[in-house]
Amino acid sequence: MSRLRIEGLNKAFGGVVAVQGLDLDVAEGEFVSLLGPSGCGKTTTLRCVAGLEEPSGGRILFGEKDVTRLPSEHRMIGMVFQSYALFPHMTVRENIGFGLEMRGVSGTDADKRIAHVLETVQLKGLEQRYPRALSGGQQQRVALARALVAEPELLLLDEPLANLDAKLRDEMRFFIRSLQQRLGITTLYVTHDQSESMIMSDRIVVMFGGRIHQIGSPEDIYNHPASAEVASFIGQANMLKGRVVESRDGVATVETAWGRFSCSTNRPVAVGSLVTAMVRPEALRLTNGADRSDFSGRILARHFLGNVVDYRIALADGTVISVQAMSAGALPAEGPVSIKVDQDKAWLLQ
Amino acid sequence: MKLRRWLFALPALLMVALFVVVPYLNIVLMSFRTPSATAIYGPGFTIQNYARVLTDSLYLGLLKDTLLYALATTSICLLIGFPVAFHLARTDSRWRGLLYAGVLSPLLTGVVIRCFGWIVLLANNGLINQLLGLGGLGPYRLMYNPVGVTIALVHVFLPFMILPVMNSIQSVDPRLGEAARTLGASGLRSFVRVLLPLSMPGIQSGVILVFVLSASAYIIPMLLGGGQVSTMPTVVVQQLMGSLLWPFGATLALVLSLTALALVALFGALTKRAMRRVA
Amino acid sequence: MKRFPTALLCFIGAVYAFLLLPIAIVIPMSLNAGEYLTFPPQGLSLRWYVSFLNSEQFTSAFVRSVGVALVVAVLSSAIATPAALFYVRHLRSGREKFRLTMLAPMLLPEVLTSIALLFFFNQLFFGTGTLAPLVIGHVVITIPFVFLTVTSALYNMPAGVEEAARTMGAGAWTAFRRITLPLVKPGIVTGAMLAFIMSFDNVNISLLLKPLGTSTLPIQLFDYLRYDFDPTAAAVSTISLTLTLSVVFLIDRIYGLRAVRF
Repeated sequence: MSRLRIEGLNKAFGGVVAVQGLDLDVAEGEFVSLLGPSGCGKTTTLRCVAGLEEPSGGRILFGEKDVTRLPSEHRMIGMVFQSYALFPHMTVRENIGFGLEMRGVSGTDADKRIAHVLETVQLKGLEQRYPRALSGGQQQRVALARALVAEPELLLLDEPLANLDAKLRDEMRFFIRSLQQRLGITTLYVTHDQSESMIMSDRIVVMFGGRIHQIGSPEDIYNHPASAEVASFIGQANMLKGRVVESRDGVATVETAWGRFSCSTNRPVAVGSLVTAMVRPEALRLTNGADRSDFSGRILARHFLGNVVDYRIALADGTVISVQAMSAGALPAEGPVSIKVDQDKAWLLQ
Repeated sequence: MKLRRWLFALPALLMVALFVVVPYLNIVLMSFRTPSATAIYGPGFTIQNYARVLTDSLYLGLLKDTLLYALATTSICLLIGFPVAFHLARTDSRWRGLLYAGVLSPLLTGVVIRCFGWIVLLANNGLINQLLGLGGLGPYRLMYNPVGVTIALVHVFLPFMILPVMNSIQSVDPRLGEAARTLGASGLRSFVRVLLPLSMPGIQSGVILVFVLSASAYIIPMLLGGGQVSTMPTVVVQQLMGSLLWPFGATLALVLSLTALALVALFGALTKRAMRRVA
Repeated sequence: MKRFPTALLCFIGAVYAFLLLPIAIVIPMSLNAGEYLTFPPQGLSLRWYVSFLNSEQFTSAFVRSVGVALVVAVLSSAIATPAALFYVRHLRSGREKFRLTMLAPMLLPEVLTSIALLFFFNQLFFGTGTLAPLVIGHVVITIPFVFLTVTSALYNMPAGVEEAARTMGAGAWTAFRRITLPLVKPGIVTGAMLAFIMSFDNVNISLLLKPLGTSTLPIQLFDYLRYDFDPTAAAVSTISLTLTLSVVFLIDRIYGLRAVRF
C-alpha cells in the first residue's frame, strides 16, 4: 500500500489549467521529486497534497484515507516553503514548538522533542534566537526542523534550496537526503533543478504543461527518456532524425541524411517509420577514421571543461551536434573527424 | 462564502459611502438650490449661484487670488523641497532618522500652533523684526499681508512636497547617475538628464498635493492674514458660519474645487510626456 | 560616504530651520515672564500655564479633544483594520478602485469634506447639536491613515507564514490569532496613534461640525489667536505639542518611524 496516492488530479485557476490528469503512487519512505520548468504544475500539485489548494477534480489519499476534502491543518504533514515562512515574532524554539502545540503536545514532552530535532538538524544552542538573527542556511534548517518535529506522515518541500548560494545548496542537498533516509519519512520534493533531483531522489516525476511526461529512477529518466522534452530537460541531448530500415530485438537501425547507425529501443518499431533518436554527447565517440564509423563531420569548436572536452561538430548537411569526450587524447580544434554512435546508449524516442 | 469576506470591508465602505459620497453629491445638489437667509435653503432650483460667481468680478478676483497663492506656494515648495528630498533620499548619515522625523513632525503638530509660531516670528514686534532691528533694519510688515500668508502656506505644506519626491528619488538607482558620469556627463547634466526625469512621478504627486491643499487652505489665511487677506475658502467658511446662504457657499466651494481640479488635469496633461518615459 | 556640496548642505540646513523654528519658538515663549511676545524672554515663569489651567474654556476644550481623539482612534482602527485585511488577503479584482475608495477622505480637500458633512448632518440628521457628527467626521478622515499602516504591515509580513501555520495544524482562526494578528499589531497601533494625533489637531472638520458652545483645543486656540495675543496661547500650544510629540516618540520607540509609510 502506498503512503501517498494521487488519482486523476485536476486543478484549474479560473480558465487556466495548471494540472491535468495526474496519477502518482509514492511508497513508504520514498523520496520523489516533482521536476519541471516554471509553470509546469509541480508546485500546484504539491500544494494540493498539502491541502493549501482545493483540487478541481481527482482524489488524494494518504494510505487508505481519502484526504481530498480534508483541510490542511488536519492532514499530518510537514511542509518546508521556498521562503521558509518562519514566524518572525517567535524564537526558534517557539517556531518549532508551534506545530507540537497545535497537536496537543506541550511541557517536557515538547521540550524533549524540540531538543531532539534541533540536534538532528545541527542547530543546538540557537533556541532563543529570532529568525532575523539567523543566516539563510540556519533559517532553512529551522524550517526543516519545524516541519519534522511533529513526526508527520508526509514531508513536502517546495524548492527549499532556491534561495541559497551554490555551495550551501550542494551541502544541503546531501544533508536533506541523508536526513530523510535516516528518518525513513515519505517525501515529495519540488524543484526545477535537474541535477538536484537526480542527486536526491529515488524516483523523479518529470512534468511539462500540467502533465506527467515520465516517472522513473534517475537512471531511467536519463538513459531512456520518454519524450523529447524530457530528453532535453535532463542533461544535454542530440536529436537525430531518420527513417527505420531495420528493427529486431530491441535494436533499431536508422538511416539518416548523414549515415546509418543503430540505437536501442524497448518497443516494436515499424520499418520505414520516421523517428527521432536521442544520443547524449558522451554516447558519441570521435575517431580519425581508423575504426568503423557511422558518419563523418568537421569539428567547429572545442571547449575544455576540465575533466571533459566539449566538441561542436558539423555533419554533412550542416546539422550541428555536440560530443563530449575525456580530456586525454583530445583531438585538434579543427578538421575532419569520424563519429561512432554507441548503440547501447542511443535511445529511440516515442 | 466570498460574500462573508466582504463583511470585513463593509463598515469602512459604509462610512465612505454614507459620509463622503452622499455628502459630496449633496453639495453639488445644494449648489443648485435657491439661497435663503432664514433656512438652509429656499424652494426650487436655480443656476443663479453659478451665474453670480462666474460673472461677479469680486468672486472671480477671489478665485484668481486663491489660485495665485496656491501657485506661489507650490513653486516655492518645489524649489526648496527638492534639494531636501534629494539629500534625505541619498544620504547615509546616521542622523537620517532624525532628519526624517524633522520633516514628518511638523505634519503631526497642529496647523494652528504652526501659525502661532509664525505670528511670533513675523509680527511687527516679533522675533525677526527684533533681530533685524538689532542691525538697524525694519521693522517690516511681514504679517497680515500676502507675504506672511505665503510664508506660512509654504511652511505647512512643505512636507507634502518633500515626502513624495523623496520616495521617488529613493526608487531611482544611484548607479544610473554614475553610469551617466562614465559616459561623459557632468554632475549637473547627469542630474538634469537622468535624475530629474526619473523623479517626475514624485514631483507630480507633490505638486498636485501641495496645490490642492494650499488652494483649499482656510486657517492659514485667516490667522496670518488677519482679515486683510481674503481667499475663496475663508470667504466660503465665513459665509457658512455667519449667514445662512448655504447654497451660494456651496457654489463658491465647488467652483474653486473644479477650477483647481482643472488646473491639476492640465498639469497632468502637460507632464504626461515626461511621465510616460518613466512609467 | 556620500559627499554633498557644502552649499547644498547649508541650504538644506536653512530649510530644516525654516521647518522647525516656528514650532520650536513656541516653547520658550510659553515660559516668558513678560507680557508680550518679546525675545529674548524676560525671565522664566510658569504664569501662562497657570493661566491655561485657570481658563475653564481651555481646559474643557483640552479634555474634550483628548476624549474625542481616543474615541476616534479606537473607532477608526476598528473600522479600517478589517478593511485592510480584506484588501490584502481576499480582494482579487477591482483592487485599485477599492484602495482609492479607502483613501478618498485623505485625497479630498478637508474643507470640502467638512462643508459636505455640515450640510449632510443638518439636512439629513439632527444637526450638530451633539458631538456625534464631529466624531464621525474625524473617523472618516482618519480611516485612510489606519488603512495605510495596516496594509503596510500586512505587506511586510513574510510570505507564507499563515499557510505554514496551517500545515502545522492551526485552523484558520488560530492562524489569524497567533500569527497574523501579532504581526499586524504594530500597524494597527501606529495607525491608531496617527488617528489620535490627526483628530486631536484637527481644525477644518471641528470648526464646522462642533456643537455650539463647545470647542476642541485647536479651535479654542484659533479663536483665542484671532483676538488675544498673550503667551497663554504659547502655553496651550506647548502642552498640545508635548502631547502629540510624545505619541510620535512612542511610535518611534516601539515600532520605528519607518512604520509611518504613505
